[in-house]
Amino acid sequence: MSGRLITLILVSFLLVIGALMLAGVMPLDALSVLGETFRQKGAWTRTLRETTPLLIAGVAVFLGLRAGLFNIGVEGQFLLGALTAAFVGLLVSGPLGVILAVIAGSVAGALWAWPAGWIKAYRGGHEVITTIMLNNVAAFFTTWLVAGPLKAPNQESTTTAALPAMTRLPSLYSSPPFFLNVALLLAVLMVVALAIWLKRTVAGYELSATGANAIAAEVAGVNVKRMTVRAMAASGAIGGLAGACQVLAYEWRFYEGFSPGYGFDALGVALLAGATPWGLLPASVLFGLLTTSSTALAANGVPRGLNGVLLGLLIIGFAAYRYRRKRT
Amino acid sequence: MELIFILSTLTGPLLLAAMGGLTSERSGIMNIALEGFMLTSACVVAVVSVATGNPVVGVLAGLAAAIVMALLHALLTQAYRIDHIISGMAINLVALGGTNFLDKRFTDLSRQGEIPQIPMLVFDVLAFGLPVLLWLYLKRTRGGLRLLAVGNDPDKARQMGVDPIRVRYAALAATGLLCGLSGAMIVTNAGRFTDGMTAGRGFIALAALILGGWKPIPTAVACLGFGALYTLQLQLQGSQLFGANLPSQFWNALPYLVTVIAMAGFLGKSRAPAGLGKE
Repeated sequence: MSGRLITLILVSFLLVIGALMLAGVMPLDALSVLGETFRQKGAWTRTLRETTPLLIAGVAVFLGLRAGLFNIGVEGQFLLGALTAAFVGLLVSGPLGVILAVIAGSVAGALWAWPAGWIKAYRGGHEVITTIMLNNVAAFFTTWLVAGPLKAPNQESTTTAALPAMTRLPSLYSSPPFFLNVALLLAVLMVVALAIWLKRTVAGYELSATGANAIAAEVAGVNVKRMTVRAMAASGAIGGLAGACQVLAYEWRFYEGFSPGYGFDALGVALLAGATPWGLLPASVLFGLLTTSSTALAANGVPRGLNGVLLGLLIIGFAAYRYRRKRT
Repeated sequence: MELIFILSTLTGPLLLAAMGGLTSERSGIMNIALEGFMLTSACVVAVVSVATGNPVVGVLAGLAAAIVMALLHALLTQAYRIDHIISGMAINLVALGGTNFLDKRFTDLSRQGEIPQIPMLVFDVLAFGLPVLLWLYLKRTRGGLRLLAVGNDPDKARQMGVDPIRVRYAALAATGLLCGLSGAMIVTNAGRFTDGMTAGRGFIALAALILGGWKPIPTAVACLGFGALYTLQLQLQGSQLFGANLPSQFWNALPYLVTVIAMAGFLGKSRAPAGLGKE
């Protein structure tokens, strides 16, 4: 079995090297480009900035996975949460506005995820398909809102107005060009909270039991259907929260094409995290680093798509590795 | 006539992909990677057609690429025993990124006007003939019955002397072939490759498969329904409905919304093959 695993890793490695050479970049040159990039503080700011939505959205996916749900709809919940947060933040200014925006964003995410949970629990429709469909609907829905009713009237592009400085999540630490936003701290706290919740509360235990073996959980007295709906809604709420934080901490407005695919990358983060929520921390930083790296390489002529290939291969490799451990 | 042409152009890729999904899921392998297979084929068809100037070679290369991806899915789920959903998702990621990479790498070539094409009629005939052929194959031949047996209960099939793994690899090769045709049809119709051009149609095909109860003819009918919806969307876009002017985004979102409603079982319930996802 491990021979197979080595083959898999070797083939993946050669594939990436081959792709780099095909793009006309020698692997060593690519490394030196990356070395140059990460000597600058700005690259670390960018990495942490990318890590934040990946980590929160990763928590959302992880929670779903624990309950046995593949929430591929985080992308849509992220968009809805971001748009709602921008809308509320523009209505109510100041710290109260920030708090209301976070809550509204979470509620929007939960509402967007709820149908998928309900369909899974009571109608037997697989959540993977419904959540992907809801992603597409979310993309069109938010585009329509930001191109029409919520568009800033004095702007050329399809975007909402910018949030006032009072209605933003502040920096926790800043020495330009290095910034660390409160949102990242919030994300880390969520991981801690999730870990404690899963381990120490009845609801957390029931959720894990449902994911591990739904029939056994049902026999033991867990209302599996209700748990499924709630887990999906909770996962959606956290996905919406990720979007809200992105608006309040980094972007300060919502615009067409808001997410470069954080919701999908978050799936990779959650899968790489392994069995405990703590794994989300290194996984999200790794994905943040990969995103920053692929931006740097894109400037040197390596198409961004390589990032997706790399993430896919990582997921495959890790899934194969985990299976191997389970068996022996 | 014009309308029939549009309908067949929009339904064809769904039919091909859904039949591809059918051979995979009927053999017991859950497959959310149809989208990835289609996209891979579409990109390779475009790149190779331009490079060789020969559309037949291009399509054959696209089919081969999609088959390789499909066999990869079989390998990962059967030999490495990765969760079918995770494997499918990872393959979609690799396909989305990889096609972006290939397309950007050969960008000067593929942007020079349209790719050389084989006539759409070829794809139409294949797409609309296939469900009937597949139905006959499943009902009337030894191979078809073996496929169904493996999908229903791999253990019993094994006891009867049918090797489930072998059947599944063959079924996935067929999946790759059919999804490859679907991708080729999409790129042939569009005239060139664009990032993520399959636009979720692999998932719509999957929804049609579920709606059709994993049976060829009902699935084809469901595909026709979705195709009609796409056609309707193109026809009604920008026009008034009940006196209100609906935004274009509403029409774009309509097929996806209908899929969600369909998944909720409001358009009839169906039963999955018993052995789906079993080893």
